[in-house]
Amino acid sequence: MGAVLLACAALTILTTLTVVVVLASQTIAFFADPAVTLWEFVSARRWTPLFADQHFGIAPLLAGTFMVTVIALLVGVPMGLASAVYLSEFAGPRTRRIATGVLEVLAGIPTVVLGYFALLFVTPFLQRFIPGLNLFNALSAGLVMGFMILPTVSSISTDAMQAVPKSLREAAYGLGSTKLELVLKVVLPASLSGIAAAVILALSRAVGETMIVSLAAGQRPLLTLDPRETIATMTSFIVQAATGDQPAGSLASRALYAVAATLFFITLLLNLLSQAVVRRFRERYE
Amino acid sequence: MSTAERPSGGGLRDEGRGAVLARTRRRARNERLFRWLTGLPVVLAMTLLAALLYDVITDSYSWQVVEPQGSAASFGFLDGFAWFDTWERVVTLELRAGGASDAEIEEILTDPETRRIFAARHRVELMFSVDGRPWRWLVSSSRDDRVLDVPLFEGFRREAELLAGLESGQVLVLNPWLDLSFFAKNASRTPTMAGLAAALVGSLLVIGLVLVIAVPIAIGTAIFLEEYAPETRLARIVEVNLNNLAGVPSIVYGILGLSVFVRGLQLGAVVLAAALTLSLLVVPVIVVAAREALKAVPDTLRQAAYGLGATRWQVVSGTVLPNAVSGITTGVILAVARALGETAPLLLVGAAVFVPRLPDGPLSYYTVLPIQIYGWVGENDVEFTHVASAAIVVLLGVLAILYAAAFLVRRRFRRNW
Repeated sequence: MGAVLLACAALTILTTLTVVVVLASQTIAFFADPAVTLWEFVSARRWTPLFADQHFGIAPLLAGTFMVTVIALLVGVPMGLASAVYLSEFAGPRTRRIATGVLEVLAGIPTVVLGYFALLFVTPFLQRFIPGLNLFNALSAGLVMGFMILPTVSSISTDAMQAVPKSLREAAYGLGSTKLELVLKVVLPASLSGIAAAVILALSRAVGETMIVSLAAGQRPLLTLDPRETIATMTSFIVQAATGDQPAGSLASRALYAVAATLFFITLLLNLLSQAVVRRFRERYE
Repeated sequence: MSTAERPSGGGLRDEGRGAVLARTRRRARNERLFRWLTGLPVVLAMTLLAALLYDVITDSYSWQVVEPQGSAASFGFLDGFAWFDTWERVVTLELRAGGASDAEIEEILTDPETRRIFAARHRVELMFSVDGRPWRWLVSSSRDDRVLDVPLFEGFRREAELLAGLESGQVLVLNPWLDLSFFAKNASRTPTMAGLAAALVGSLLVIGLVLVIAVPIAIGTAIFLEEYAPETRLARIVEVNLNNLAGVPSIVYGILGLSVFVRGLQLGAVVLAAALTLSLLVVPVIVVAAREALKAVPDTLRQAAYGLGATRWQVVSGTVLPNAVSGITTGVILAVARALGETAPLLLVGAAVFVPRLPDGPLSYYTVLPIQIYGWVGENDVEFTHVASAAIVVLLGVLAILYAAAFLVRRRFRRNW
């Protein structure tokens, strides 16, 4: 029986290996093509693999991903942290149950539904206040994505804050501090590693999120930092290239793998970083 | 502050009672403000959820001015309703109102091919309101001319004006897009004729296969990590690997599925390829939940079983698993919920947006709920928006049932050792 169980566990490792092999082999094939060079990939400012006039500079896709992600973090991180403070320090058992429930429901909404909401509710709403806001834009996608990552930030940070030992809290109260001072001067510094890990994990989820950007941000690779513009992210390009009819093995379809490899590499780095932060900077209270 | 200005002696006495009180009051006020501020995001999240639900639900209703191709007649609720054959009854009424003979009506209702074609092109709908009269049956045709589409609340405001503006041969209806025929209808290029049948069957097939594939693998992995090889080097590698897999964007799993299952194994864009891809995605989710459940089983139970001479597998299968089953079930339900809403990887492994026939097995072409929603939103047509909203209401409803089930299982079977 042990062998069968070992095989199950080995299968999960096989999954990772297959991902790496598939992405690496196709990406190498992509760069082996005489029409592309690694230098063009990192330095050129246009990304048009699906057009007749092909250019392969990933910068516009990175810029798009970066912009949506930054907006999402600006929304999601402060709110996530604040709600974590509320859940771990202020809320009574009843309110905490309700608030946790709300955040869990939010985390359970499929992203395609959030994309629909961003496109058909948030964008028309914002267009009343923001002139020049495109139908497809980075701003709505980023805002809604901020709410998508809120539960992630909140739940991991709450765990980190609740792990701060009672003795530290009581020492702070003993010195006459208010809850506010306790949170700012004791709880937050003591749980900083957990919070950092939460933020990095949220960042990784935002970078890899696909449906919200595909539906609400558009599919036009544009090197810009104007959040009102229609843009393309790495993930939305992958969707666009895969749902079009590029023949397998063509340069355009291999471009998809190069982008996916970049995406995989970035999220892997972020995940490893988040785990390392927790291991390296965890405060140990004996 | 320079030395000369600093008050001598104890601060309290020199500062004076008033200043201390004022400062304490300020600190207390700051705390109240802070407490309020930190509670705000939860309120905002609730507002967002409420706005989302409001938007989706109101969008699944609309007022429409229609120029029907049929008789343009509508029938009262009791005229059309019959316990088992409402459809036949309303169609008969409609055809008779249109001047068809009994023989023609008989043919449409009994000849399977004629009936299939008629059913594909027509839809028996219970409208909330037709020309100001509530609860009317209407047979709409794919060739009906839809003159105007007005959102729910705007329609209530302008009802009198819309009624007055009707030309002859036009009717004003309040159309609930999410009705029973929505579940029975298949894919269509005409919004009013589009329905969820193919997506529902597709989702059911995919999720069923995911359960068959992912649950044994995930539980096996969890047992291996917790019961067979805890704290070994291999277990640590598997664990780190699982952590990383859980962080891989779902679209990357789609690329894996596309390269390995769809192209590598040459399965093509079929149900099985989707199920295999989603299985890879949910295995880490189930493993985490299953490990927690196994960990919660106290060691004393294991020791007792060993003491009775049980082998390792007997301990696991006879003692540990039965006591961990509720935790594992919760994890599986949550994984199903995750797989049900997952869209991006299935776009890559080729779930079709337009599936004219119901999928009938693991090797047939398919679509699933979220892909169908994605397709309808992408149609960029106000009527398809209503169809998409109706589908979202269904998807959220199914998810709500799953989450409620997980919650109940967790509460019902929780044990404190």
